[in-house]
Amino acid sequence: MKRYETRNCLLCNSSLNEPITWKLFLTNTFPKTICLECEQKFEFYNPSQQEEQDIISLYKYNDMMKDFIHRYKFMHDVILAKVFRQQIHEHLAKTKAIIVPIPIHPEKLKERTFAHVDQLLKEANIPFQHYLEKITTDTQVGKTRQQRINSPQLFRTTENVDIKGKEFLLVDDIYTTGTTILHAKTTLFKAGAKRVAAFTLIRG
Amino acid sequence: MPYKLVKENHFILYKGIIIEPQIRDFFIGRIWTRVNTPFPQEKIEKYKEQNYFNKKPGISINRSIGIFNRKRYKCNRCHNEQQNEFVQYDCARCNKTCVYCRHCINMGRITSCTDLLLWNGPKPKVKKTHELVWSGAFTDLQSTAAQQLIESLKENRNHLLHAVCGAGKTEILFPAVLYALKKGWRVCIATPRTDVVLELFPRFKKVFPKTILHSLYGNAPSHPGYPQLVIATTHQLFRFENAFDFVIVDEADAFPYTYDRALQKAVLKSKKVGAPIALVTATPSAKILAQMKREKWGYSFISRRYHGHPLPVPRLEPLWSYNKIIQKGRIPKKLLDWTTTRLENKEPFLIFFPTINLMENAIPLFQQLDKKILGVHAEDPERKGKVLKLRNEEIPGLLTTTILERGITIKNVQVAVVGAESKIFNSSALIQISGRVGRNVLFPSGEIVLFHHGITVEMDEARNEIIRFNKEGFRMEAK
Repeated sequence: MKRYETRNCLLCNSSLNEPITWKLFLTNTFPKTICLECEQKFEFYNPSQQEEQDIISLYKYNDMMKDFIHRYKFMHDVILAKVFRQQIHEHLAKTKAIIVPIPIHPEKLKERTFAHVDQLLKEANIPFQHYLEKITTDTQVGKTRQQRINSPQLFRTTENVDIKGKEFLLVDDIYTTGTTILHAKTTLFKAGAKRVAAFTLIRG
Repeated sequence: MPYKLVKENHFILYKGIIIEPQIRDFFIGRIWTRVNTPFPQEKIEKYKEQNYFNKKPGISINRSIGIFNRKRYKCNRCHNEQQNEFVQYDCARCNKTCVYCRHCINMGRITSCTDLLLWNGPKPKVKKTHELVWSGAFTDLQSTAAQQLIESLKENRNHLLHAVCGAGKTEILFPAVLYALKKGWRVCIATPRTDVVLELFPRFKKVFPKTILHSLYGNAPSHPGYPQLVIATTHQLFRFENAFDFVIVDEADAFPYTYDRALQKAVLKSKKVGAPIALVTATPSAKILAQMKREKWGYSFISRRYHGHPLPVPRLEPLWSYNKIIQKGRIPKKLLDWTTTRLENKEPFLIFFPTINLMENAIPLFQQLDKKILGVHAEDPERKGKVLKLRNEEIPGLLTTTILERGITIKNVQVAVVGAESKIFNSSALIQISGRVGRNVLFPSGEIVLFHHGITVEMDEARNEIIRFNKEGFRMEAK
């Protein structure tokens, strides 16, 4: 692993000035990619407010996060996947369940040129497997809450995979109404999964 | 030799297309991505087939010379060659490793697998009937400068127009722009600041009523037609290549133009080969001056304001540990006295702060004096409205960061700089700030005070430079 991938903050381009410490050499932490000021603008999501069990979210969807998602997902700045790798790694490295990222449609993938959830996991050094496929190309963006909740099934399981009796952890970038996660969950349960939990970076 | 008659008369299909003027007008001089044009994709592909476009890869890859032979990338849109701004990633579209440029990503991502299109079709006819509707009169200094600029154009050489703040720089450009337009040239006025574009556009539109002119900046509305005069931010020039016969860079010393090499390259790229550039500034850097001498540019210098009065010279005033006092919730005594005098005399004032943080701490303190005092900084969405309020005398004064250092004109404004020793206030910034004062004929003088915690070289330099301007202006009159 490179000790320095970037000397400037990926978000505001000010210089990082990370001191070289023993900790950096001896422990297996990722080098920093954003400056302290940018880091402080992200708000952690408070777990006590969590309504549903089995869903862990890390951050609130504030203005800073909105800007981040815009730059990462819509301006296609792939390197920004590195920003949250430390936090994602800490949360997912020790889980025993099989990690399944929410997939995107192949056509959409061609358009975007990268799978945004897969990229987040790759940068965080988390192994994952695809058990799901997306059927529809339409996105949840621009729909009302009602429309989202009533949308038809979005996923199907990939062929020739054994799901019965296994534990899964779904990973997505953002949780807004929970429709995506719910659809993925029901698909896995129908195929015989024992337990399905979910992890999202952001709670909208 | 017997001739063989061709019996089979093949129907030759006419494969040409009639070019739509909108598409031609839009693409001419521009360098644009193949997708994301304002026109339907099928049309673009059809034009491409007909060879109306030249294609260029988004990022070109060269090998560096030397033992390592490392890859060197270059973005073909912004001409960025800083290797740390290029990012490799696994592209799902091409199933291989592609590269993209982070330097110009705000204008839409350019990867090594995107194509850039350059217009290769016929050029539109340009009008040569242009008219300058302007009733103002030049001072002697102004008219010589305007004449010198036209001379430089005739000789096809670059020009530096060095004029103090409030010398009427924009007006000096009018004759030269008219000369270029009448020759059928395409002219661009570029500036690093959006505020300046917004101020210049209506002025030029008014004096050139018969010319099609466009203003370009981030999120600008689109205009129809082929513009012969373009007023744009320097960032927008990334999207042009080989387009202009004459480029004027206004406020050529402003951030980020001097700092970002890619912007300077963008200007060179946007003009045609050998076309002249004119730099317009009040505070040319030593680098520009040296380049001007080395490359034998045309040079005109105006040391007096259009109304003939001398420039206000800044007064230095110590304000020890202002930072601590403001953080304790008090306004330092001298600053308080200065502000109350302005309020009593009903003079509009600007107070410059080195950081947003310090300014935000100070706003509530000043609002205790007068509720209507406001603060403005770069990320403020109401920044335009607040300046307008000050100009219309709706509010007594504004607290600001360096964003208002140039381009604004307010009648009878009085200026104070708090923390003039800060790094951000270099000599050119201080000269620009001093230049806000006394721009109006009716109020040719005014207060400019630099409150400091120790005098810096930059402050001395700014003060000496202003005194030198005044001396020079006076000497010219004596001749």
